[in-house]
Amino acid sequence: MVDALLADVSGEYGPVDGPRVEIVLVYQSLLGIYGDRGNATVLARRLAWRGFDAVLTVVEPGEPLPDTGQVYLLGGGEDAAQISAVRALQADGGLHRAVDRGAVVFAVCAGYQIAGRTFTVGDPTVPGGEDQVIEGLGLLDVTTTRGPRRAVGEILSRWRGRSGDSDDSALLTGFENHGGWTRLGPDAEPLADVEVGVGNCADGTEGAVNGTVIGTYPHGPVLARNPALADHLLELALGEELAPLPRPEIDALRTQRLAAVRGTR
Amino acid sequence: MASRVSGRGSGTSIRGSVMLRLDPAALGELVAGRRVAMVSGTNGKTTTTHFIAAAVRQALGADTHRLVHNADGANLHAGIASALSEHPRADLAVLETDERVVADLVRLGRPEVLVLLNFSRDQLDRNHEIKGLGRSWRDALAAAGDDGPVVVANADEPLIVWAVKTARRVVWVDTATTWTQDAALCPQCGSPLVREDGTGWRCTGCDLAQPEAAYRVVGDTIVRPDGSSVTPELNVPGGFNVSNAACALAAAELLGIGPETAVAGMRTVSAPAGRFGTATISGSTARLLLAKNPAGWAEALPLATSATVVLAIDSAAADGRDVSWLWDVEYEQLAGRTVVATGPRAQDLAVRLAYAGVEHRVVPDLAEALRGHTEPVDVVATYTPFQRLRKLGGI
Repeated sequence: MVDALLADVSGEYGPVDGPRVEIVLVYQSLLGIYGDRGNATVLARRLAWRGFDAVLTVVEPGEPLPDTGQVYLLGGGEDAAQISAVRALQADGGLHRAVDRGAVVFAVCAGYQIAGRTFTVGDPTVPGGEDQVIEGLGLLDVTTTRGPRRAVGEILSRWRGRSGDSDDSALLTGFENHGGWTRLGPDAEPLADVEVGVGNCADGTEGAVNGTVIGTYPHGPVLARNPALADHLLELALGEELAPLPRPEIDALRTQRLAAVRGTR
Repeated sequence: MASRVSGRGSGTSIRGSVMLRLDPAALGELVAGRRVAMVSGTNGKTTTTHFIAAAVRQALGADTHRLVHNADGANLHAGIASALSEHPRADLAVLETDERVVADLVRLGRPEVLVLLNFSRDQLDRNHEIKGLGRSWRDALAAAGDDGPVVVANADEPLIVWAVKTARRVVWVDTATTWTQDAALCPQCGSPLVREDGTGWRCTGCDLAQPEAAYRVVGDTIVRPDGSSVTPELNVPGGFNVSNAACALAAAELLGIGPETAVAGMRTVSAPAGRFGTATISGSTARLLLAKNPAGWAEALPLATSATVVLAIDSAAADGRDVSWLWDVEYEQLAGRTVVATGPRAQDLAVRLAYAGVEHRVVPDLAEALRGHTEPVDVVATYTPFQRLRKLGGI
């Protein structure tokens, strides 16, 4: 059920004679309730602004994932949708093939949990809502179980890939909203260290990285609020360094969000 | 009065909450002995409740003192209790009801009619799974059994159809809804839903399907159960308000009001609780549109047709603390217009507009953002700035 009113992000961005880059937005009808489609808009626009011919492909369950994408994006969703999405992705197999050929997978919230080994869903407050452990895609060495409380609020973390940087570009800002708590196995590195908020499981870490697969909790969408992370994904996918792209409105937003999160939680 | 002066919430809700703190059962006692029609849903509650109240008023003629209506949109326990306490002798109550209060009011208020308009995600920071709310309605309707309300329900919304399966009687309305973003999976069995021309939506895994409607919206007319058509010619804009009027008409007829009388009443509604109202703010003429979530924005933005459009965003509790939804709204449609971003989260909107290729300026202060417009401007605002704008404009 794809909707005519939904912000239709699919299509061509940027000059058609530029180098072609394909971004694939996976299952918006299932993993699209928290505005994470914005991550796709951000990547496509940032490519277009630099002269790339960015193509944004939106794929729904039942349609095959294209084997031509350089970046694949998964977002947040409800329990039932999460189960439906993971089954469709397992049946499709395209995400595993993409990782094998070096494409980037960026997974947020429910998408992050799906990318792991197993995750737990259920609502103990309703009849028939007993916990179910669901097999994930196994792209990240992480396991998600129900946490002692729901993590909801602004989150601030320091990105490990950038630690050592003195400036604020190493800080990742977003809004977390998850009931599952995620623990990392030996084959996953945390993406960041939490300064304010819960992150993976209140153990001080946030997100996980394994090669070109990155999982994280924050919405925002996270790439709109953290352009350095957006460009990092693109550089990882393209294997080249990208020119800086100064945008004062994003700097102003980051300044505001950093001040707000440090003042409130 | 103090709360009005300080601008913290409406005075009515505060009086009601004091009352309920003194006696938690007060709501049940306040509603006892009245005929109750209640309205809930994510978007359109206030306008639809105003439509029904106006239909009732039209039917009552000189006896309008018999009607109580929480007209200011205070729709939680306290706001409802407050409205009822102010009109102890009114025997007809038309009550806008927050989604979280529906189950309680069905239990305590024994409503005659319950209108359920639509169901989409809203304030995900606290209502993270909308199905939980639907389940609470379902349980309350099951518990009410034969004493439960007749439900007027939107047949286009799978979650509503599932939630009211336990009701003793349902009058279905085909509202010609186009917002399907929150309904990909069957609420009953989790299988994918499909939508087909002609028959509407159905589940691919179980028997849940779009019911045949008694009332249907076709363009700007409403087709009644006997096949006759009514063109409501409302004084509020938007096709979604024709859908709201169809639900209100069904409710009014269940209350025993004839369709001509009901529609005549509905035409008197022009700025329900400030929505779609025009005010003078900071010397400029502004029309105020409320949009609380992506579905609401999809309805409101096409109505904002002025050359300059002011968009006001906040993330107070009533707006939802996470503004990620900005990226689900197609602001791209504003390209080429002059856009002013205002409110506490104007900068989040500014980044969204930059990525949408929409020229804009950021003026965080609401009063300042409205200053100096020589032509009338349309303002689309989330809940908290909308209420502030109403105060500034005195509507």
